[in-house]
Amino acid sequence: MTWINFPLYSGIVAVFFLIGLAVLGYSYKKPSTFKIASILFTIGWGVLVLFVVQLWIELERPPMRTLGETRLWYALFLPVIGGLTYLRWHYKWFLAYSILMALLFLGINYANPETYSKTLMPALQSPWFVPHVLVYLLSYAVLAASSIVALKGWGDYYKNKSKSSTLALADNLVYIGFAFLTLGLLFGALWAKEAWGHYWTWDPKEIWAFLTWMGYLIYIHYRHFHPQKDKQALTILALAFVVLLVCWFGVNYLPVAQTSVHTYTQY
Amino acid sequence: MTNKTKLPQHQLWDTPWGYAESFLIGFGLLITGFVMEASLGSQTAISLVFPYNLLLLITYICVLIALYKWASHHPIVRWLSKVPASITSIVLVTLLVMIMGIIPQISSDNYIVNLLGLNHITTNWAFLLIIGLFLTCLGLISIKRIAQFSKANFGFVLNHVGLFIALTAGILGSGDIQRASIELKENEANYMAVDQSDGSPVELSFAMLLKDFKLEEYAPKLALIDNESGEILHNHGKNLYQISEGEQYLYEGFEVEVLSYLSMSSPFGSRYVRVNEQGSSPAALLKVTNTKTNETIENWISCGSFAQQYRSLKISDQYSLVMTIPEAKKFSSELEILTRDGNRFSTTIEVNKAHKHDFWEIYQLDYNKGMGKWSTTSIIELVRDPWLPVIYTGIFMMIFGAFYMFWVGNKITKND
Repeated sequence: MTWINFPLYSGIVAVFFLIGLAVLGYSYKKPSTFKIASILFTIGWGVLVLFVVQLWIELERPPMRTLGETRLWYALFLPVIGGLTYLRWHYKWFLAYSILMALLFLGINYANPETYSKTLMPALQSPWFVPHVLVYLLSYAVLAASSIVALKGWGDYYKNKSKSSTLALADNLVYIGFAFLTLGLLFGALWAKEAWGHYWTWDPKEIWAFLTWMGYLIYIHYRHFHPQKDKQALTILALAFVVLLVCWFGVNYLPVAQTSVHTYTQY
Repeated sequence: MTNKTKLPQHQLWDTPWGYAESFLIGFGLLITGFVMEASLGSQTAISLVFPYNLLLLITYICVLIALYKWASHHPIVRWLSKVPASITSIVLVTLLVMIMGIIPQISSDNYIVNLLGLNHITTNWAFLLIIGLFLTCLGLISIKRIAQFSKANFGFVLNHVGLFIALTAGILGSGDIQRASIELKENEANYMAVDQSDGSPVELSFAMLLKDFKLEEYAPKLALIDNESGEILHNHGKNLYQISEGEQYLYEGFEVEVLSYLSMSSPFGSRYVRVNEQGSSPAALLKVTNTKTNETIENWISCGSFAQQYRSLKISDQYSLVMTIPEAKKFSSELEILTRDGNRFSTTIEVNKAHKHDFWEIYQLDYNKGMGKWSTTSIIELVRDPWLPVIYTGIFMMIFGAFYMFWVGNKITKND
């Protein structure tokens, strides 16, 4: 059971990330120390990759089935998104946020240990499984990042120092996230045809995935035609993320969950 | 808001129509739809079959093209091809689908749910009207962009036209989808399937012979249950431990060691022995140590099978250990397809691996669950969807559109 290794691995990752964050904070005073922070983040991230690889091998199936497993992927993707965004936009606050979020996900997993089960039902044994889930996880991580940018935008708005670059960053993240969201939805449709005989069955998870897609569709159209209306755009972005959260784990608590085929985590 | 103050006062219903008019029209359609639902009802899905759905689709597209060509200055057409109408229709579709995402789409006792048809949104008049509005907006702007095609429009056309094709073909083609299931018994040929929508018999143009049904299982799991309620206590029933010889597990002050595990066994006196026969069940010999008192118990447990009783192990007044029924890892049917002209084709189908024959997509659906891996019955599903190539055209256009969007998103970043 690899889970037993998790406290050790996550502990090492956390140490590197936390020291990295401290150094990152210090780099606001002394910019040359930023390099040390980025090295610490990279090592911590490398350890996490090692854990995921080992978990995948030991489970003999992709570790993408349970909520805990998806949290692990967020912890893995968020620092990458933070790093890439830093390379392009040089936002240290955003890098710090993505590392903190990764730590939060690791923390949640630490508090809710799972005894990883090897069983994977036949419907999930398909070449579509990995691309379908992976593009979704990537998309959710990018869109989560966009809503943090939106929070920053709200803050700026109320301090009356709105910057067009903040919403531009949100736009870029939403475009990338939305492209992946579309791929996830369509890969899911193609897979559903193979597994269940129909590409669209209005399963509750499908419904909420579709709603998430529509939410960001509204944002993209609104931004495209009303680039000056920051406040409305930020509201739409926040609402779209709420829908995304419902889709991600809220569905399980809705009355419709009883009719869903997407609840794989009972056993 | 600042823009508006510069313009002369815009009265409601002055053209061009904006968001206020769009939402009024949208909600008007919504209310009309619900009134129609309450008065007419739509319990029987409105499904058009070939060739009427194809005729309707062609007519619809011709009307859209005609509107674009000869009526594009009419206030209604102008409104339909502008942003406020698009965003309004997206919002209203979202709203209706959200109802579908909250209220279970199954029969209900609630008066309002039944009156407004909220438990069958996809066949609800309100949904059909709003989808009509949505598709008309989408269709008109698609035609506009195709007519004024330029390289920069490429991604736009892929995304919008792809969605239009996938949605119209999916909605109008749904009446032509046929789903049937057929029960096959080993070494018997069958060509009479049952239609899943109305239970009527469907005679296939070929027969299917089940040569062998195979099922592989995962090892069963171990669960700690409450003697009184019978509920699984460990981890709220989630992520139970899989039984594996030599493993040790810890449950609420009990150390459990699997001394021996037999995947196929039969009870023999007070113990289990390895056998290779129909109806044999998995069994495990457990050694349970109470970590407080150091007392140990050693005994067998089994989940049983259709032919054998299950056996649990009581480890205290409060708790018992049970073995769960093994989960299926893989199940498949070895089939022979016999055609009328005397041809035979062999194929093996399993979940996620369908076989196509004669317009039918043949799926592994189910088996006799009570018999488990000893099942000699296989339930096969047959699906026929003549519109699939059209829908896939739309889906693949959108997939390329998504890649394009990703690429251009990058470009925007670089140019900024």
